[in-house]
Amino acid sequence: MSKVIYFEDVHIGDAMPTFTSDPLTRTHLVRYAGASGDFNPLHHDETFVSMFGMPRVIAHGMLIMGMTSRAITEWIDNKCLKNFKVRFSGMTEPADLADFENTKARATITVTGTVVNKFVEGGENRIQCDIQAADALGGVKLTGSFIAALPSK
Amino acid sequence: MADKSKLGMEFAPYTFEVEKGKIAEFAMAIYQKENKDQISPLYADREAAKKAGYKDIIAPPTFQTCFPLWAGGGIMPIVQELGINLIRLLHGEEEYNYLGAIHPGDIMTGQSKVVEMYDKEKKDKPGKFMEFTVIETEIRNQRGELVIKSRSTLVER
Repeated sequence: MSKVIYFEDVHIGDAMPTFTSDPLTRTHLVRYAGASGDFNPLHHDETFVSMFGMPRVIAHGMLIMGMTSRAITEWIDNKCLKNFKVRFSGMTEPADLADFENTKARATITVTGTVVNKFVEGGENRIQCDIQAADALGGVKLTGSFIAALPSK
Repeated sequence: MADKSKLGMEFAPYTFEVEKGKIAEFAMAIYQKENKDQISPLYADREAAKKAGYKDIIAPPTFQTCFPLWAGGGIMPIVQELGINLIRLLHGEEEYNYLGAIHPGDIMTGQSKVVEMYDKEKKDKPGKFMEFTVIETEIRNQRGELVIKSRSTLVER
């Protein structure tokens, strides 16, 4: 849950608080597969992905979007969120437990964002914030934006 | 190759009953946690949600992604209906417009429609095209209130 953020206290150019995830493991992907119902074997079965020349399974794009939503709602209250959109730009490979220290960077997701607009719509004071999720090696997973209606003082 | 004659096609509506445990399970998955005490209490604790101004536990912002997957038999019927090659399929974009909250006990109905189908030439491979299919979905609750409008872009590379 987030504190109340007021429209007057948010300015164009402000950064939203940076969020950094735990390194994603195959267990996280399996948990998300079960929770979401997306059992595409691309996300859990290495014998499947090897048929297409891929070295390992990849995370669901929607898991990365879900983790990004957590970053947003740890700053802005859920009820304020009006629009959330992303464009998926890169795949995420989980860390290998057998070589965790050397592989965790590719599986650690950091979400950053910048307020790019403040406007009034439908009688509400709204902000637009551009967001990005990237791994610790700089690989961008998604870019997008959200719009939130904030209370006034 | 996506079948362009499917532009404008509406899929059969799906219905999904929202369960409290499913919300917590989904939230634990996106929080990478194994215990519901480690997620936002808005997703698991009715009293905490009420205290924060909600009438009950709420669903996380991307929760609705599980509705068609659980209620409509997964992505395969959509992919097959559209003639999309699963091996070439990528999820390009996803957008949600939030018009209301989702609570445990709600019965959600989703109605999806193919609203755009187009090709884009690959920058690095002239003469080769990526194919885009855009699906819009309106999700309503048991009172007929429009709660979420979503827009998904599927890409065949």
